[in-house]
Amino acid sequence: MLIYTINRILHMIPVLFVLTVVVFLFMQMLPGDVIDTLIGDEEAEDPETRALLMKEYGLDQPIYVQYGVWIGKVFQGDFGKSLITRRPVSLELFESIPATVYLAIVGISLSILIAVPLGSIAAVKRNTPTDYAAQVTSLIGISIPEFWFAIMCVLLFSLYLGWLPSSGYMSPFEDLGQSIKYLILPAAAVGFRQAAYTTRLTRSSMLDEMNKEYVDTARSLGFSEKKVIYKYILRNAMIPTITISGLQLANLLGGTVVLETIFAWPGIGQAIYLAIIDRDYPLIQAGILVLGIIVVVVNLLVDLLYRVLNPRVALN
Amino acid sequence: MSQIHLDGGGRKVGEIHVPTFSEHFLRYKVAFVDAVQELYKSKTAFIGGLMLVSLVIVLLGTPWLTEYDPTKPNYTAFLNPPNAEHIMGTDRYGRDIFSRVLWGGRRLVAIAIAAVVFGMAIGIPYGVLSGYYGGLADSVSMRVVDGLLAFPGILLYLLIVTLAREYHLEGFWNDLILVFALGFAFFPEVARLSRSSVLIEKQKEYVEASNTVGEASLYIALRQILPNCMSPLIVNATVRLGYVILIIAALSFLGLGTPPPTPDWGSDLSSAREHMETHPLLAVFPGLAICYTVLAFNLFGDGLRDILDPRLSDR
Repeated sequence: MLIYTINRILHMIPVLFVLTVVVFLFMQMLPGDVIDTLIGDEEAEDPETRALLMKEYGLDQPIYVQYGVWIGKVFQGDFGKSLITRRPVSLELFESIPATVYLAIVGISLSILIAVPLGSIAAVKRNTPTDYAAQVTSLIGISIPEFWFAIMCVLLFSLYLGWLPSSGYMSPFEDLGQSIKYLILPAAAVGFRQAAYTTRLTRSSMLDEMNKEYVDTARSLGFSEKKVIYKYILRNAMIPTITISGLQLANLLGGTVVLETIFAWPGIGQAIYLAIIDRDYPLIQAGILVLGIIVVVVNLLVDLLYRVLNPRVALN
Repeated sequence: MSQIHLDGGGRKVGEIHVPTFSEHFLRYKVAFVDAVQELYKSKTAFIGGLMLVSLVIVLLGTPWLTEYDPTKPNYTAFLNPPNAEHIMGTDRYGRDIFSRVLWGGRRLVAIAIAAVVFGMAIGIPYGVLSGYYGGLADSVSMRVVDGLLAFPGILLYLLIVTLAREYHLEGFWNDLILVFALGFAFFPEVARLSRSSVLIEKQKEYVEASNTVGEASLYIALRQILPNCMSPLIVNATVRLGYVILIIAALSFLGLGTPPPTPDWGSDLSSAREHMETHPLLAVFPGLAICYTVLAFNLFGDGLRDILDPRLSDR
């Protein structure tokens, strides 16, 4: 296990390298002079000032040196300053992470709460109308664009029925009741699509487990069908299901850009969107890099968790 | 018709049947009928197939189905509800929504297909060669793929599209960048998938036989191994088409796709939000169009998987 963990962490290095190179090249490929982009003031007109700035930002160095300097700063958490607010980018991002994490965790939990029972019922009642209904629902679920689903929810629950606010955010530590009101629609939009995926996944891993020999053994020992399903099949089927939902977190974090924008949710997705609209390049660069790193780290943790939960995998 | 092979001494050593045109035609006809019969075996594939065929017919027939110009404003018909003249109503510039949905669909589906084809055109050779040759080149190229896969969801597109915006590309060039961005983001997945099928296929005896006979390795990889790995790739591409359409719609919903007058499901949805309280139907039609198209591709892809991979058909 220790060797595997070390191996897996070493494996992360090239992945992170590619990630940082792509994000770094993005800045390099912007048209025009980086000085103009970074400064944007009249003072950059003066050739002497330019030369000075070039030196200060290390732009007179070859590109791999520039990359090295940049990555060194990234390691220290220094992503430069926002072009709009002039505050350090790391600070801007750091403030937006809790809202995203809050939304993601509630969304994923919601999806598991819906999907696991639905997927299990579909698997147990395979090839019955119940199963078909569950399958069709989940297929429709993954075909509906999440932003459209979100708009339709706003239309129904806030414009027509007036039950919930159409957008906004409140920290749960401030006022839990209000916070939950703001949370319901975004979390439903996040959880809905996720639930559709997880239902399909639960169903197919349940079916995988059902065909295994230990199930026959359990039945032949005279265990009740309920016990066989809940205690053995479901429990084993949960291992791949939970793992893959963890991996789905990557998709979910990417999707937050759209959903957070619709619901004016002050998370990292909305921060990236606003940065794109404002052409705040250091913030775009850092935001995408941070989300990428989160995904890589979560994948690693999920992978390790899978091994802990399922020691048989390690033997293969 | 047949082609007779002679050895050096003029003796007949073999005869190869060369099919005539009508025989060719018959063969294709049989293949087509077979395909439809196979498709019929899976209900999902059949329904998805029907939905796709009707989509293609409607999109190809767009110029005859609607006489309204999707971009020309009509100042006498703002925000009309659905009626006999405009079956889906009109938007805030008096443009016919039905016409915008159809013309937008043509563009969207064309871009999606181009993007998926582009992604496969890079990804397949990349994955096949990497898996076939193995070794250091394989490890390095797969790490690149891993790195690109670490970009969650639409972020890689956002990066490319933002970059493209700075170069002020318009019209055709803007669409081309979209195709490039979507295809480029698809290629790591294709590369990984084709590589893993090649690794399995490589162990088989016919590859060993070809090696012994002395076929060129490039020929073995691309002409012999690749055709045997196609079915998972086709399934993947079909499902991906639906996903790509969702991504394009999301990008233009965020205002990063095509600039306004061009009909586009995503940007139409986003501008419909401004009139949502008074004209909710504006936001319904483009959304339904996206759902229909994506569902058609997903159903077809799902059914295709059942047909092509009989091990799963039981599920």
